[in-house]
Amino acid sequence: MKEKVIEILEDLTGSSDLADNLDINLFDEGLLDSMATVQLLLELQSQCGVEVPVSEFERSEWDTPNKIIAKVESM
Amino acid sequence: MNVIQRIDSWAQRDPQRVAYNYLGKENTYLELKNYSDSVAAAITNMDLPDKAPIIVYGGQEFEMIAVFLGIVKTGHAYIPIDSDSPSERLVTINRIAQPVACIAVEELPVELAGLPVVTPAKLKQLFSERVSFSAANQVKGSDVFYIIFTSGTTGVPKGVQISAQNLESFLAWMESDFGIKDESTFLSQPPYSFDLSVMDLYPALTRGGTLSVIPKKVTEDFRQLFSVLPQLKLNVWVSTPSFMDICLLEKSFDEEHYPQLQHFLFCGEELTHKTAQQLLQRFPHAAIYNTYGPTETTVAVTQVQITADLLAKYERLPIGKPKADTKVVVVDENLQEVAAGTAGEILIYGPSVSQGYLNNPAKTKQAFVKFNEQNAYRTGDLGEFDEAGQLLYKGRLDFQVKLHGFRIELEEVDYHLGKVGLVEQAACVPKYGMDHKVSQLVAFVVAKHNEFKNNLELTKAIKEQLATLSMPYMIPQRFVYVDSLPLTTNGKVDRKHLFSEVNH
Repeated sequence: MKEKVIEILEDLTGSSDLADNLDINLFDEGLLDSMATVQLLLELQSQCGVEVPVSEFERSEWDTPNKIIAKVESM
Repeated sequence: MNVIQRIDSWAQRDPQRVAYNYLGKENTYLELKNYSDSVAAAITNMDLPDKAPIIVYGGQEFEMIAVFLGIVKTGHAYIPIDSDSPSERLVTINRIAQPVACIAVEELPVELAGLPVVTPAKLKQLFSERVSFSAANQVKGSDVFYIIFTSGTTGVPKGVQISAQNLESFLAWMESDFGIKDESTFLSQPPYSFDLSVMDLYPALTRGGTLSVIPKKVTEDFRQLFSVLPQLKLNVWVSTPSFMDICLLEKSFDEEHYPQLQHFLFCGEELTHKTAQQLLQRFPHAAIYNTYGPTETTVAVTQVQITADLLAKYERLPIGKPKADTKVVVVDENLQEVAAGTAGEILIYGPSVSQGYLNNPAKTKQAFVKFNEQNAYRTGDLGEFDEAGQLLYKGRLDFQVKLHGFRIELEEVDYHLGKVGLVEQAACVPKYGMDHKVSQLVAFVVAKHNEFKNNLELTKAIKEQLATLSMPYMIPQRFVYVDSLPLTTNGKVDRKHLFSEVNH
């Protein structure tokens, strides 16, 4: 699952360095914005089968690759 | 009655009616009239040259629309500049537009040399005073009502001048063709520097409606967005399809939870079949419209209602049929009309076509031409009429793209990239998704020698510098570092080659 999430994130952000920077803040670094977040949630749904309730989406809980991986693995 | 008189008349008919709802802070039509009269009286006292434009700087607060109205009541045109804009853009627009004053609803981030400024403090004081003002010199006919700046190919934005009669033509169509009732509550989501905002602002206010605002900070925080949205009791939805894509993520965004929501109007970018179909499933009884039009022809000029039949017939949705007072023709490179079923450039003429770009005769001459003795606008959009008379959108003739509704000239992005100290040379291209829509801007950069540990750090530094030069929506999402850019045989950057690298 971890590899899959990293793959999705690398594809979305166009950055191939994410696997080595799992604690990087994706929003502060300008790698994700709200439209990219929509894409991320749709990809997680179609590729990982994870349904994220968007009305509970708190950006601070999803702002690094590690946090996203942990979230996905807990769902 | 003209636009201004119609809005003011609601202050008499129903003074306590709510005109503006900003996250629960409500302002009435009476306040709108009083505030705008105060601003108009203050502008009159400034003794400015007749009809010259005035910059309005701020976000989405009520004071913005009161200031717009105050300005047009004195015969001046307003130029909305969003507080999201970098200082550089304010300075550039100030240089191009040569305004005679600036009304700062929010604190200006930079000094505009020699320009009289009404500060937020002064404005607050004005709003606390009650003056009577008779709008004898208000904007009318071919006088310019507002000027909206759009992206320009040389890196210099162009100011599209929209006159009172352009706006009247647009409003008449909004009233006749969409079945929207008086006193409706409209979603007000785009910033005022984006002309999509005109699609909710004046249709709502001239008909006693309420503007329910979702400011940018709320759109970006999904949790807050979906706690605010159900409280707005919206009747009419106006947004880009991209914003709808966010809302459709929420399963409870449907007819059952939003029973008052009966109209949806989309503009600014392509409405995909997928988005339209999903929305119609959620709101089977709502009237959903796709519309199309460039800023230069006042917001939009064609519309089509999205029905199950239409979705079944078209894989890629049409952009509709022109409004009654306007002609849309498809022409070849010699401006000769082509037959239905043949693609060509979309050309628009009629009463909502702008008189041209402010202080830019060269660009005006390129884009505005005489056609059948009338002032026509060459859109640069490729289109084609089908046998049913529906206009189909086929892409662009140049390097303009739409990203989430924002209009961007790729050359302008290149221009700003080139000004970044870390960049030797750069060019950007759009990456398209599966649905004909741009999903990202990708910058190919030849970087100068630098000490950054990795490309992530370099990209962050470049983005930070870009943020001081260009609008946030023009900053590429993706950076690719290369040793050199591919060139065409005549020595220009080969954008097509770069394009094929990101779009397979």
